[in-house]
Amino acid sequence: PGLNLNQGSGPPTEVLCLMNMIVPEELEDEEEYEDILEDVKEECSKYGVVRSLEIPRPIPGIEVPGCGKIFVEFNSVIDCQKAQQALAGRKFSNRIVVTSYYDPDKYHQREF
Amino acid sequence: MYTSANQSKRPIDYANNSQWGNDSQADRRKKRKSRWGNTDQLDKTIIPGMPTVLPANLNKEQERQYLLHLQIEEISRRLRTGDLGIQPNPEDRSPSPEPIYNNEGKRLNTREYRTRKKLEEERHHLVQEALALNPEFKPPADYKPPTVRVSD
Repeated sequence: PGLNLNQGSGPPTEVLCLMNMIVPEELEDEEEYEDILEDVKEECSKYGVVRSLEIPRPIPGIEVPGCGKIFVEFNSVIDCQKAQQALAGRKFSNRIVVTSYYDPDKYHQREF
Repeated sequence: MYTSANQSKRPIDYANNSQWGNDSQADRRKKRKSRWGNTDQLDKTIIPGMPTVLPANLNKEQERQYLLHLQIEEISRRLRTGDLGIQPNPEDRSPSPEPIYNNEGKRLNTREYRTRKKLEEERHHLVQEALALNPEFKPPADYKPPTVRVSD
């Protein structure tokens, strides 16, 4: 509805934002959070060197920016592109993985 | 520490008698199934008109709306095609509740019935959220709001 999504991804960066994979409640439990972290890291490492990874976790009573998304910083833009091609449309916990590139400056300043 | 890819089983006593601390954490990791869908074949889900690569410049509300629409479409697709995600191996399934039968002895709360009901409830919540964000949102044709139940 008034949204043009066929403009593609825009310019690639080395930070990939993964959406629609998790719901905040799943991150409340320490063990579940660790498992998710592990699963994402393992899979992303198949496409390149993962430099860092952020999964904002919920804090009761506060709206945490980016909570529900996963951010993966790769060593290079090319690795990040490979990961996007491989992961967009895959399933994670039975949900369809949606991706976009993310501004590295914003990522490093934790502006999610 | 060493690992060997072709060593399928280590001696049973090794884990229990090792001087190294207990590695139940590592064992749990190994046994645990990854949340990623099937990795052997390309199992991409393509919904026509719903790309999975988004531009970076969407605002939060546009992004949320889009993800809601995508999830609603995906649940509708699963309900329509019967792709309910029921584990083929009964051992991988969660425990079932006590069976409920109708007066002809036919089971009512089958796994398929319970899964469909869960998906329909999930879709209902997503449709409500999508309508709250955008009152002009058109739910899928096969969506019906649940009838209010007086008792369960």
